[in-house]
Amino acid sequence: MTFKHTSIEHTRNAKEEEWIAEEAAEQELRFKNIQQAMKDLSTQREKWYQEFFDRISTRGFNEDGDQKIQIAPEDLPTKPEGREDQVVWRCGADDE
Amino acid sequence: MARPHIEPFCDRDVAFKKMSLAGFGNGMHYKMLSFDPDTGACSMSVQLDNGYRRAPGFSWSEVEMMVIEGELTVGGRTCRKGHYFYVPAGYALPEISTQDGCLLLFLTNTGEPSHQESDSHHALAQTDLYHDVDSYMDIPWALGNVTKPSVANGCLIKLLNFNPISQAMTFLYCMTPNFSQDNISYHDCAEESYHLWGTSWMMQFGNLPTGGYFWRPAYINHGAFASEFGCIALGRVDSKLFNHFHYNPWTTPQENRERSAARLYKRDPLLYRWAVSQNHNHPHSPQDFEDTMSRRGAEQGHDNEHKTDGSRHDHWHGHNHYDDGSAYKH
Repeated sequence: MTFKHTSIEHTRNAKEEEWIAEEAAEQELRFKNIQQAMKDLSTQREKWYQEFFDRISTRGFNEDGDQKIQIAPEDLPTKPEGREDQVVWRCGADDE
Repeated sequence: MARPHIEPFCDRDVAFKKMSLAGFGNGMHYKMLSFDPDTGACSMSVQLDNGYRRAPGFSWSEVEMMVIEGELTVGGRTCRKGHYFYVPAGYALPEISTQDGCLLLFLTNTGEPSHQESDSHHALAQTDLYHDVDSYMDIPWALGNVTKPSVANGCLIKLLNFNPISQAMTFLYCMTPNFSQDNISYHDCAEESYHLWGTSWMMQFGNLPTGGYFWRPAYINHGAFASEFGCIALGRVDSKLFNHFHYNPWTTPQENRERSAARLYKRDPLLYRWAVSQNHNHPHSPQDFEDTMSRRGAEQGHDNEHKTDGSRHDHWHGHNHYDDGSAYKH
């Protein structure tokens, strides 16, 4: 996905193709580092989830702007069995 | 493959690299923030050394730029921190230079960075789309409720660019000190942000400091949100922004997308049924008759006989009506 704006067709030269290949390889490494860092944060994140559940069931959930509603404790979600906590998704909904 | 999910990332953690692509001259260095390997489109933070000069010319892709620090001289005009440029593809900028060096945010949307030296615009350039503004000084902050349901008060925006067809937007946003918003959000569009100053926090990713960045594909959960001391950032979305709020942190992007479709079905059931029926399985996209309908073109005068002011049609409209079967004989 890219921003849907204008461009003018042109032919890339070899130097540009090489630059693109290098940047693609470096981005792959950057993505893997982020993925690992976010896995390392999972214990802390689980605490943040529990604090979030506490806040939205007491102070309230931002439904629209500053309009808040309290979520009843029995309506809070449970983690689906066997599902790993994942926050980084390479291609979003198009991940395999 | 399009740009992958890059979140969180901080450009302060990596070193600048020398720009090696032709046309940019010496003294341009960059940190890659996100990159589309198919098109070469990318977002970079850029450092221009003191004394840097780039000859007049244009890019094959449209470009957006923001001065982060320092001063950039564009065609003799000095542009300071917060100056934003939207430069259509093929639009020839005058010489740009910097006496003491500067930092820029440099965004290409549809192709790799390119600079073709030229004193004139490309024939296909949409020159009327060009605009630039000192976004810090010349645009007031507005409430962030550009869409409903909306962000909480304390998140303010300045709109910098808007595409009326896709509804893609570029905007500055800030969070006031002690901002908080207790919900989880996802969108039907990709979203990008670069922290110009300050730190914000999201429940999935932790703190994003000055120089912090994300490129987030559609349907990925983010939030709750908070900022202890406030922040200011440049943000972009690549199509219509809608906030799908919820409070389940374990949903997947696929489930979020399905929920978006379910909400569309509840809101516009007739359109939804038509769009997904096999009889209307268009290979590209549905046809918009405004893009394809027959138009009058340059022919003058053959409009309605009756005018809105009650007068009759003045009969010179560039052709005659002697054709067989014509109701008009003049």
